Amino acid sequence: MAVITPISDYKYGFHKPENYVFKSKKGLNKRVVEEISWYKKEPQWMKQFRLDALDVFYTKSMPGWGGNLNGIDFANIYYYIKPTEKKAKSWADLPAEIKDTYDRIGIPEAEKKYLGGVSAQYESEVVYKSIQKTLGAKGVIFLDMDSGLREYPELVKEYFGKLIAPSDNKFSALNSATWSGGSFIYVPKGVRVELPLQAYFRINAANMGQFERTLIIADEGSFVHYVEGCTAPIYTTDSLHSAVVEIFVKKGARVRYTTIQNWSTNVYNLVTKRMRVEEEGVGEWIDGNIGSKLTMKYPSVYLMGKGARGEILSVAYAGAKQHQDAGGKAIHFAPFTTSKITSKSVSCAGGRTSYRGLIQIFPSAIKAKTKVVCDALLIDEASRSDTYPTMDIRHNDVQVEHEATVSKIGDEQLFYLQSRGLSKADAEAMIVNGFIEPIVKELPLEYAVELNRLIQLELEGSVG
Amino acid sequence: MSLTIKNLFASLSNKQILKGIDLKVNSGETHAIMGPNGSGKSTLAGVLMGNPAYIINPPAGGQKSKIKINDKNIIDLKPDERARMGLFLAFQNPVSIPGVTVANLLRTVYRLVKSKNKESRRTGHNPVLSVWQFNEQLIEKAKRLSIPSEFLKRSLNEEFSGGEKKKLEMLQATVLEPKFAIFDEIDTGLDVDALRIVARGIEELKKIKTGILIITHYQRILRFVKPDFVHILISGKIVTSGDSKLAKEVEKNGYKKWQ
Repeated sequence: MAVITPISDYKYGFHKPENYVFKSKKGLNKRVVEEISWYKKEPQWMKQFRLDALDVFYTKSMPGWGGNLNGIDFANIYYYIKPTEKKAKSWADLPAEIKDTYDRIGIPEAEKKYLGGVSAQYESEVVYKSIQKTLGAKGVIFLDMDSGLREYPELVKEYFGKLIAPSDNKFSALNSATWSGGSFIYVPKGVRVELPLQAYFRINAANMGQFERTLIIADEGSFVHYVEGCTAPIYTTDSLHSAVVEIFVKKGARVRYTTIQNWSTNVYNLVTKRMRVEEEGVGEWIDGNIGSKLTMKYPSVYLMGKGARGEILSVAYAGAKQHQDAGGKAIHFAPFTTSKITSKSVSCAGGRTSYRGLIQIFPSAIKAKTKVVCDALLIDEASRSDTYPTMDIRHNDVQVEHEATVSKIGDEQLFYLQSRGLSKADAEAMIVNGFIEPIVKELPLEYAVELNRLIQLELEGSVG
Repeated sequence: MSLTIKNLFASLSNKQILKGIDLKVNSGETHAIMGPNGSGKSTLAGVLMGNPAYIINPPAGGQKSKIKINDKNIIDLKPDERARMGLFLAFQNPVSIPGVTVANLLRTVYRLVKSKNKESRRTGHNPVLSVWQFNEQLIEKAKRLSIPSEFLKRSLNEEFSGGEKKKLEMLQATVLEPKFAIFDEIDTGLDVDALRIVARGIEELKKIKTGILIITHYQRILRFVKPDFVHILISGKIVTSGDSKLAKEVEKNGYKKWQ
C-alpha cells in the first residue's frame, strides 16, 4: 500500500480564521453547554434552548427498549471539539481493516484520507462552492447548521426544535443541548432541486459531527433530495453519534432523504428523524444502516394534511457484534393519507437485526391507507432477527396491510449459484444483494455499487 | 476430453438411490439417460454437479466411486470448483432467487470465473467496454433462443413459466460454454415450439464440442436432438445401453421390460 504522508490542514486550505483550539472538557454539564454556545457566538435564544434541553436530558431516563445502551458513559465523552482537531494524526494510525476495506471497495486516495479522518477534502469544497452558486440563484439555502443559524436566525428560530422537541426522548435532549454541524436547507416555493444535495460534497464543513442537527424546509410545491453519509466505513474514535433531523414538507412539496450509515463498530448510533408532511406533500426516507455497534433509528412521517404521503425504505445489515434496531413510524392525522414502510434486514455472523415500527391512524384520518412489509434474511444459525410492529388504528375506515417474512439462505439457492461457478461466499453475497435490491435500486448509483461490494466483502470475511 | 463415472453409489437421507453407475461421455458426444420416475435420474444429475445433499457411499471393500474429467477425480470438489472445470447442470426445477437477474448472474460469473486476472476479479474493475460486449453477446444469444431481452432483467426463475425457466437454463449453458453439460428433464413442461428452441441450444453446444448428457423420462426431446448413445436407468443402475433406436423402443413399450 502506498504510504500517505499526513498533510497539514493549512496546505489544504482548511484552517479556520479562529486559529485557537477549543475543546470542551470531557463530560456534560451546564458550563460545557454554555461554552459551546459562547464559542459559536449564538443568539441568546439558542443558548437558552440548549440549557433547557440539558435539564430535560437530566430528567429523562434511558429508553428501556431497543438495544443495550449500558456501554454509554456520558461522563467520558467530549461534547464539543473543534472539527479540525478531530482528525486522526496520520494514515498509519488507522486500523488496518478500515484501510483494507477502503482499498478493496476502490475508494480514491483523496477520499480515503478524508473518510479515515486524516485530512479534509479540498476538491469537494470547490464543488460545493459551485453548487452553492447555482442554488443561490434559485433562492435555495444549503449551509451547515451553524452557518444557517448565523445567517438566517429568524428562519431557523421558526422551525428549529419544533418538530422534534428536546423532550421527545433522552437523545433528542442530548442533541438539542450539544448539537454542532449538520445541514440547513431551505427550498423556496415551487423550486425543484434536480440534483441530489449531498452532504458528501461538504463533509469537511463539520457536518458529520457527533451531535449533528439537520433542518430542511421544503416550501410549497418544491422538491429536494438530500443524501447524507457514505457507504465506506467512517472511522471515528467517538463512541456516540446522536443526530436529530427535522424536515418540513409543505403543501404539495416532496422531500426525499437518503442516508447510508457505516460507522465503525465502536459507535452507538442513536438518531431521531422526523418529517412533517402537509396536504398532498410527499415525504420519503431511504435509510441504510450497515455500520455501528448499535443503531436505534426509526425515521418517521407525520402526515398532517389531506392526501399527504409518506414512504420509508429501511435496509439494515448486522454482522458480528452488531445490533441494528431500525424501522419506521407513520402517523396519520389527516384524511386520505397513505404510508408505506418497507424494511429489509440481513443478519450474519451472530449479528442481530430488529424491525421496530409504529403505525398510528387517528380518527381524523378517514380513508387512510398503510402498508408495512418487513423481510429479514438470516445467513447463519448464530444470527438473530426480531420484529416489533405496533399498530394503533383508531377507526375502521382504513386500509391496513402488514406482511413479514423471515428467510434463510436456502441450500438449494446456494447449490444453484455454486453450480454456475460462484464460490459459497460470492453466492451468499449475490443472494443478499438480491434480497436488498428493491431498496438499493433507490440509492444513487455510486452508493448502490459500493454497498453491493461491501456486502460481498463482509460475507467473504464471515465465511473465511 | 472425457467425463467418466465409475461405480457411483449415492444416497439421500439414508435411502440408497444410485447403486453403481458406470458411464463415459467424450467431448462432442450426446448421451441420453432414460428412466422411469424414481429411477435416480435427478440424483445422478445432482451428484455429478456436487450437490452436498447427497452422500457418496460405495460398498465397503469395493471399488471407490469416481467422477473424472480426463484423469482428474472431481468427486470431492465443490460445485463451484466443478463448474470452473467446465461442468454445467441445467436444473429440472431451478430455484428462484429474488432480486438476482439472469444478466447479473451471468455477468458476475463471467467476471469472477472467466476473468484470468485476479486483481480485476477482486475489485470488480472491469473495462466498461467488456461489459458492453458481454451484454451484446448475451442479448444476441437470448435472441437465438427466442428469449425476450426483458427476461434478462427479471429475477431468476421468479414468475416465469416452466418453459421459460427451461429456456433460461439453456441460455446459461450457451453463454457459459461448458465442456460437459447435463440437462435434467429439460423437456418437461415444454410445448413443441419450446422443444425446438431448446434443441437448438443443444445443437449450438455440440458445435463447440460440449459433451452432452440428456436426462429424461420421455423421448420427446430426442425427436429433436439425436443422441449418439442411449442408456436405460432402472433403480439406480444402468441396465442397458444402445443407440437412438433404444429410445424408440422405450416410447413404444415403456420400461416394463427392464423393471
